[in-house]
Amino acid sequence: MSRWLDAFVSLALTFCAGTAMAQQTASIYPGIGRAATLKEVAAWDIDVRPDFKGLPKGAGSVAQGQDIWEAKCAACHGVFGEANNVFNPLIGGTTADDVKTGRVARLKDQAYPQRTTLMKLATLSTLWDYIYRAMPWTQPKSLTPDEVYAVTAFMLNLGSVVPNEFTLSDKNIGDVQARMPNRLGMTPTHALWPGLELGGTPTPDVRTKPCMANCTDESKITSQLPDFARTAHGNLAEQNRLVGPQRGANTASPK
Amino acid sequence: MSRYTNLTAVQTTHGQLHKAPENFLGQAGIKTAFAQPQDQRRAFLRNAFLTAASAASTVALAAGAQAQTVSTDGDPNILNLPDHTKGLGQGVVTDGYGKPSQFEANVQRRASPGLTQTTQSSVSFAPLQSLFGIITPSGLHFERHHQGWWDVDPRGHRLMLNGSDASMLKKPLVFTLDELMRLPSASRFHFIECGANTGMEWGNVAVPTVQYTHGMLSCSEFTGVPLITLLEMAGADLKRGKFVLAEGADGSSMTRTIPMSQIVSGEVLVAYGQNGEMLRPENGYPLRLVVPGIQGVSWVKYLRRIELGDQPYATKDEAAHYIDLMPDGLHRQYTSIQECKSVVTTPSGGQVLQGKGFYSISGLAWSGRGKVKRVDVSVDGGRNWRAARLESPVLDKCLTRFSMDWVWSATSTDQPPIIQSRAIDETGYVQPSSRALREVRGSRSIYHNNAIQSWQVTHSGEVKNVQMA
Repeated sequence: MSRWLDAFVSLALTFCAGTAMAQQTASIYPGIGRAATLKEVAAWDIDVRPDFKGLPKGAGSVAQGQDIWEAKCAACHGVFGEANNVFNPLIGGTTADDVKTGRVARLKDQAYPQRTTLMKLATLSTLWDYIYRAMPWTQPKSLTPDEVYAVTAFMLNLGSVVPNEFTLSDKNIGDVQARMPNRLGMTPTHALWPGLELGGTPTPDVRTKPCMANCTDESKITSQLPDFARTAHGNLAEQNRLVGPQRGANTASPK
Repeated sequence: MSRYTNLTAVQTTHGQLHKAPENFLGQAGIKTAFAQPQDQRRAFLRNAFLTAASAASTVALAAGAQAQTVSTDGDPNILNLPDHTKGLGQGVVTDGYGKPSQFEANVQRRASPGLTQTTQSSVSFAPLQSLFGIITPSGLHFERHHQGWWDVDPRGHRLMLNGSDASMLKKPLVFTLDELMRLPSASRFHFIECGANTGMEWGNVAVPTVQYTHGMLSCSEFTGVPLITLLEMAGADLKRGKFVLAEGADGSSMTRTIPMSQIVSGEVLVAYGQNGEMLRPENGYPLRLVVPGIQGVSWVKYLRRIELGDQPYATKDEAAHYIDLMPDGLHRQYTSIQECKSVVTTPSGGQVLQGKGFYSISGLAWSGRGKVKRVDVSVDGGRNWRAARLESPVLDKCLTRFSMDWVWSATSTDQPPIIQSRAIDETGYVQPSSRALREVRGSRSIYHNNAIQSWQVTHSGEVKNVQMA
């Protein structure tokens, strides 16, 4: 008897809990939305996080990467990832010392002209994720995971992060992360993220008071458009309305 | 030929007579004229010639009038009734979706020559110098594409919600547009500004007009469903799930980490509407994220997926781009808020004032942290400031229009006026001078330049982009 009662109470509780759960998940908007299938989630959930969650298993060598690079990447990015004619250069500006320290020294050099992707990147996951989702330029999502490992390995080899004979895989990618030249070069502790999730601050970094009279903060002109740049944006007369308080300056003819 | 040359030498403005600063039918005018069907083109040109002809004869009179008093009867635009006063106009539905007047053809969004090497990973700037109020017409909204834009069929578009692990959401969900548009919606006015807006001006003056200095800025009424509603429907674990990854359906499949602190407030929208109609394809049709106060790159277009996670994602556009280089060589990562900023749009760089006298200085102010509280305007290069009028409405994380009366009376011996604006938001944050900004951040950070803008009004009336220190 008591066993039956226990069973009944237990069943009733399960039923109640089940109802509560159903109400919570089905929400107050019945008929809107449906459960995603596992295959659907797998088809779209391609992101790879800095801790490599989401990274597919696989491997690719520097040599394999070089073949893919020359066939599908070099036209835009240059044979050595150095080109700047289509996109910003990817490789260059990092040193063996940066690999040791985790900070790209040239980022402090005001005179160094370019910032390549490898100079900036702290997280290797970013490189893998982006190549997999968006490259090549005209055929995004056409590379297999193994091909992405290979291309990534080749790029890291161009930047002297891994040796010529290296094969990058899901097993050793964490070790390579520890050699990224600018892996310690990022900080999230600033006031431009709206919450405190990243350890930032709500206090802005640039704080000024609004002077109203006889202010001397800035007193002279230090920069203006050089004359040779006057026509660089076309004829400004054609970029302004035909009526109104002002007209566009006719930059098609001399001042 | 000679007659045409004479005719183009003059034009009328304000019913007064001036030497034309350029050919009265400029390149754009000619293009417009030839784009018309034959009969319209003929009418357009005929009107143009008539106006010019009457103006020419009046100028001749005026020139002769130096010796004698002006004996003209008045403005030919008044005296000679135009065709549109004497004829029959066009019928309804000449165009099922109306377009701006042919005379507004100069008001266009434009690319900055040489800024990018492809048109698909590029930007076009909104013509702020020609806009009134706070709303950007949808067709003039600035564009930023990372791998080209698409006109996506909304019937096949889906939004998926999933978790970075199995316990993050009780139930991963898929929504159609039909379903999303059945849910209760919210419509709100917000600005969107690219994090790189004014980025070309960090080190020195680089571009001539406000379109190029500040034109990666637009403002619309957006309509959509609060993202928090969808997350709650999926049974989201909002304690563990501190970050959301938003992902687009285009080739770039743009991804950005979105702050949960904003999502729980309800202000982040999964939007399909813009200014009363659907989003424009260039702005993410049929679905985009609206993240008020946060830089445009986070407003993921062609939104296909929302992932709830317990860590930020360090995606390409928050690990290689949209990171702010500081003087010590560190990059600030996950910089997102667009801090308080303002700019005078009329008069502004590359424009020419049409004579001395009264002008209403007018511009835009905004803050990613809330409402604009005050805008000060200076006409003497920042030495003295006066509070400007704020025009209603003044809304949260939205453009605010300000204006101030001004009489341009500078003589050739006076210092040319330098016009500036400085906004203060409801948190008390004051828009900084470029000097104050550079003292903290240097000049190489590319992103988040919200410095005070200076426009110098030269003696000829031409307005120039200048920087001060």
